[in-house]
Amino acid sequence: MFKDLKKDTDAKQAETVIGASVKVKGNFHGDGDIIIKGEVEGNVKTKNFLLVDKSAKVSADVSAKDACIGGKISGNIKVSDYLEIKSSARISGDIHAKELSIEKGAILNGQCHMGDNQRKESEHKNP
Amino acid sequence: MHVYIYDTFVSDKKHMNKVSRVETRITDLGLNGKIVRLGLISSVSNAIENEIKKGAKTIIAVGDKQILSQAVNAMAQLLAHETIGQSVPLGFIPIGKKDILTADFLGVGSAELACDILSQRRIEILDLGQANNSYFLFSAVIPTEYTTIEIDENYTIEIKEPGEIGVINLPLGFNLPQTAQTDPADGSLELVVKTAQGKKYLPGKQGSSNQGVFAFNKLRIINKKYPVLLDGVKKLTSPVDIHLAPMKISLIIGKNRKF
Repeated sequence: MFKDLKKDTDAKQAETVIGASVKVKGNFHGDGDIIIKGEVEGNVKTKNFLLVDKSAKVSADVSAKDACIGGKISGNIKVSDYLEIKSSARISGDIHAKELSIEKGAILNGQCHMGDNQRKESEHKNP
Repeated sequence: MHVYIYDTFVSDKKHMNKVSRVETRITDLGLNGKIVRLGLISSVSNAIENEIKKGAKTIIAVGDKQILSQAVNAMAQLLAHETIGQSVPLGFIPIGKKDILTADFLGVGSAELACDILSQRRIEILDLGQANNSYFLFSAVIPTEYTTIEIDENYTIEIKEPGEIGVINLPLGFNLPQTAQTDPADGSLELVVKTAQGKKYLPGKQGSSNQGVFAFNKLRIINKKYPVLLDGVKKLTSPVDIHLAPMKISLIIGKNRKF
């Protein structure tokens, strides 16, 4: 069974928390965990975990190792490992993920690409 | 040699008893040294520079957080120009009721206890923040209203609710949300956003969802209406560029420090 990423995320460990009253514009790149509860316009990229809370509005392409999406995202989502989409999520954009779970009630308008693309490409080249 | 820099107000009659007790305690502990009494036009920076050139091994700021802040600034400027080395530590003896919080935070306690702390000589090497050409030990704070912050030249943040923005090294007087864990010796500063809604804590709970915490290397604060307040003392007008200062400061603190 898939793990519950949101429960696993200890807010104390998050390097960045974008609070509900905060609006971020631009290219937001981080190495640690990021929690978004406010608004973001631009690009969001982290080498670790990204949590988009149900109060968040993100107009940006997002990229992370693992992600849990519960808010509104207009943009493409690229997750190298596990992407969890909660029932409150409203996503307009394509998603790329190795593993994916979508809760009942979530809205996803876009293409969905799954699996380990890098591994598949390498297997295809060297059968 | 210990050099005690007395703030101007320390010579007031109302502080005479306390200062007298401090001087007696200093003598008892064998920490006698030179006393420099600042006048209205004397500069803390010049006083500290002169005394260090004459061989002072420890500087002690005697007064409130104003003189502590001035001494931190002066020593940081001297360190920046390599006039002094890291080995000269700064101590603090609080005089005046206003500075219970600062003294308590540094684990220094009352004026008399601060003398014992000096004698124990527990030294911590702490980070400093640099805001334009000034330095801060605790924080740089500005209201959220009319404020835009440019971070690492990559993105900007604006806050939609009234509150406070703090660039924190030591969180004195700034209740941090649960998410922010500051360490004044970790080689980084934290940007913390605290809005009015975020202050309405439930009893027994800390922090709020309505706050923000950002890691950064450098940032610029722009606010045409309000100044940035360094360590609750010095005001800087916008734009203010803030980053971790290249030098650290040696501070004498008590074992009951709150950081």
